[in-house]
Formats: sequence, C-alpha cells, structure tokens
Amino acid sequence: MKTPLIQNERFVQIAAPLVVGVLVLLMWQLTVMAFEVPKYIVPSPVDIGQSLVSDFSSLFNALLMTLKVTFLAFAISVVVGVAASLLFVQSKWIEISLFPYAVLMQVTPIVAIAPLIIIWVNDTTWALTICAVIVAIFPIISNTTLGLRSVDPNLLSMFRMYRTSRWQELVRLRIPSALPYFFGGLRISSGLALIGAVVAEFVAGTGGAKAGLAYMILQSGYNLQIPKMFAALILITVTGILLFGLMVWMSDRALRNWHESALKVEH
Amino acid sequence: MTANTVTPLNPAREPDVDAPVPEALAAGRPVLQVDGVNKIYGNGTVALKGADLTIKQGEFVSLLGPSGCGKSTLLRIMAGLGEVTTGTVKWWEQDYGVVGSKGRKLAFVFQNATLMPWARVRKNIRLPLDLEHAGNAPEVEKKIDDALDMVGLTGFDESFPRELSGGMQMRASIARAMVTEPDLLLMDEPFGALDEMTRNKLNDDVLKLWKEKGWTIVFVTHSVYEAVYLSSRVVVMAARPGRIVDDIEIKEPYPRSPDFRVSTEFAGYCRQVSMALERASAMGEKKEGNDS
Repeated sequence: MKTPLIQNERFVQIAAPLVVGVLVLLMWQLTVMAFEVPKYIVPSPVDIGQSLVSDFSSLFNALLMTLKVTFLAFAISVVVGVAASLLFVQSKWIEISLFPYAVLMQVTPIVAIAPLIIIWVNDTTWALTICAVIVAIFPIISNTTLGLRSVDPNLLSMFRMYRTSRWQELVRLRIPSALPYFFGGLRISSGLALIGAVVAEFVAGTGGAKAGLAYMILQSGYNLQIPKMFAALILITVTGILLFGLMVWMSDRALRNWHESALKVEH
Repeated sequence: MTANTVTPLNPAREPDVDAPVPEALAAGRPVLQVDGVNKIYGNGTVALKGADLTIKQGEFVSLLGPSGCGKSTLLRIMAGLGEVTTGTVKWWEQDYGVVGSKGRKLAFVFQNATLMPWARVRKNIRLPLDLEHAGNAPEVEKKIDDALDMVGLTGFDESFPRELSGGMQMRASIARAMVTEPDLLLMDEPFGALDEMTRNKLNDDVLKLWKEKGWTIVFVTHSVYEAVYLSSRVVVMAARPGRIVDDIEIKEPYPRSPDFRVSTEFAGYCRQVSMALERASAMGEKKEGNDS
C-alpha cells in the first residue's frame, strides 16, 4: 500500500515550511493591496519579484561580487583557522600566548575597525575580504582546537604505548576526532563570512564595478527603489541559506557513517 | 581512570630487536617485576603503596579488589602508561625500553572497546600494525584475517564499530590487541560492561587463546567468579591506600570447562577469594573511618 504523502517525513519537512512561507507572502500581498501601501514604503511580493527580473543584471553582478568576497574570506578563514588550531595543540604555551588575541579579534566590532582596514588596504576586494575573515575565523579556530583536544584518552594511551610519532598521532587520531567539531565550526563560519562581507561593504560603500549586494541596498535606499532593496536582501538571505545547506551536506557526507550527529536513528 | 596523566614514553626501541627470544619466553621466567612501587598523585592521593608483584611467563594473574584500590593504576604502570613515584618496574628483567622488541610485545585491552568510531573494524584491528609501519603485505593481511577469525568477527571487517553489539566491539578490541602477537596482555576489566552470557563466552575465548598462544595475562576485574574461573593466581588488593594484601593460587588445571563453574572446588576457591576480598574491603573502610 502506498503511504499517504502527509506521512512521508521528507515531504513534510519540505512542505510544512513552504506552506508557511506561501501563506505569509499571500497575507503580505493582500495587506499591501488592501491598504494601498505605496511601493516606496512596503513593496508587495509581486513588486519585489518584478524588480528581481528587471534589475537582474545589476543584481546578479552585485551578487557575484559579494559571493567572491564571501568565498575568499571563508576559504582563508578555514585555511588560517585550521593552521592556527594545529599550532595551538602543539603546545599549551602557544595556545596560552596566542588564544587571547583570537578572542580579541572576535570581540572587536567589525564596523569599528573596517574603516581602518579600508584605509590601509588599497584593493577594495582584499579590504572587504580581510574584514570578513576577522568575523568568520574565530568559530573555526575555537571549534577545531577543541576538537583536536577532544581525543579519547584511552586511544591516546594506546597510541603512546605503541610509541607513535606526533605526526601519526595527529593524522590518525586527532584530526579524525576533530572532524565533527570542525564541521560545526564551518556551519557557523560560512554564515559569518557572508555577514562579514556585507557589513564591510556597508562601511566601505564601494560603488561602481565593484559594487556588491550591500552597496545595492544602500543605493536603492537613497533612490527609494525599495523593491530592489528587498530583492538584494532576498539574494543575501538565499545565499546564506544555500551556504548553510552546503555545509550541512558536506558534514553529513563526512560523518554519516560514524558520528552521532549524522546518524539516522531508526525507531 | 587517570588517563590524562599519561606521560610520553622514551622512544628507545631498537637495542633488543635481535636479542635471543626463547630464553626470555621460557616458562617460569619473570615477565613483570613490580618492586616496592608507590604512586602518589599530585593532589596527595596515595594510589598505590608498596606494591610488590612478580608475574611469570605463562601465568594468568587477576588483580581483584574494591573500587579505588589502585588495580587499574597498577595495570597502567605495568603497561608503561604512568610513571611510578618510587619503586621499580622491570619488563623481562629489563627497563621499559625492551618492550616492543621481538618476543617482548605487550598489548592493552581497555575497559571499553576504545575503537576508533570513524574507522571500519578491519582498520581498527590493523591499527597497531599501521603504527609499526607494517605495510600491507600478504602476511600482514593474513595476521588481520587470523585475528578476525580468532575472535569470530570474520565477515564484519567492513562494518563500523557502531554497527556491532557491545560484545562484538569488545571482540574487535581483543583482536586489535592480539594482532601484534603480544607476549604480555594487560586487560583492564574488559568484560565489565557486558551481560553474563557474553562475558562467560568471552572468558572461555580468552582462556583458549591464552593457552594456544602461550601469552602471559594480567587481568583486572572486580568479579570474584571471573577471577577464579580464569586465573592461575588471584592477587587481592585493598583500598585507601591501594595495596596488595593477598595472593591466592588457583590450582585447578586447564583447560577449564563451564563444568568448573559449578564444581565444589570452584565454590571453595570463590569462598577463599571472597573472604580475602572482604578483609581487604574492611581494611579500606577502617582506614577511611580513621581518616574522618
């Protein structure tokens, strides 16, 4: 017998939030129409859709620019963050000496130091990337360091009994143990890289050929092109969701055979 | 368990690689000599006081005692996994450097299976060989196949640890210990978390392997029955401070069958060991009473 769709867990997982979304959009559209709210205050979903289509080329170029900064920053965060973690676990002294500076970077508001970085670094893309890295790198460092230290003490004893080198201990024991933590860091950091890229661009206010989505929002605001503003906002949000989804998928691929977080529990 | 106090071991392994083996493995030669060992932790806790114990080639010795009597600490010291505060430990009448050379290998089986959850069973079992850079020559693979076969896990080599039952995980852990063909096997309450049926079965398996392979085994347990059934000697320990208080020889010949479990001799030995254990527990409590 065929199971009714409503009992299919996967279907419900997708359909339920979709229904909520459609309902909200519908109410939004109806409210705007009923009260005749002008476009330059609250545009209707249809207006925003139209803007997405008509301004597609400028929005798309801005999206590419933002994505470029986001991915660059994310990649640098992963490489530098993992390298820092590997350094930290080599000795307690290194960690004690350097970790406070990692925290310092995390707690300093990026909007406060972005203007400085923009003055110091000539190339806009790199200036924005550096800002985004400062925002995104901390979860990678802290999670990976925690993971590299969270080793089963008995397994560690066993490795030491066989007198393994530090390298073998790292490759065969510490790195695999750290993977779940590392992927946890990736999920947080991917979103932060995007936020960092957008915030930095707000501060930088870069226009012209190098304009990203944040500048698009600023400019649309000045010109009272509110539907375009919403369209840019939607693109940022969708990018964030896709990035997060990609991280979840990667983490699932890497851990699904063994780690509790990725296991499918059958009842 | 005080796993975080592990100290790295000196990497001197080479000197004895080609030393004559038969002599070291001759029956009756001491495999382990623990002499006046004291272990005091940084916070002042006396984990072991004046431990003297000699374990000879081919013996099956159980360390039995109440919780906190230092039996696991002693076992870890025997594995070279913890430094002694005072006293000496000798392996095959030499320093720890001899361990790992031909005919003088030791293996440790932990309280829980301690498998790498990310690696399949086969990869877990071959870990000690990988750490020795044994490569994957046909004879290495055969060793792994043999180990899998001996613990009855043939066909499960591609499973992940989580796909196995607790008993099977423990078997995998034992297979990993035996794949290096150890001469001295140290087991820290390996079957404590298992149900009685599985535990009895694994007890018989270990006895069989011990006889076949001519291993020397030191086995930590807090089950009197398990200690009597398995051992040629039961060493009883007391707590606070951890110390050795009795050493009882179990003269029942091997192989021991399940019939031994229901024999009057078994009951007699169990009574003798239980009484020793009770005396040991009373010592610990009395000391504790004085402390407070």
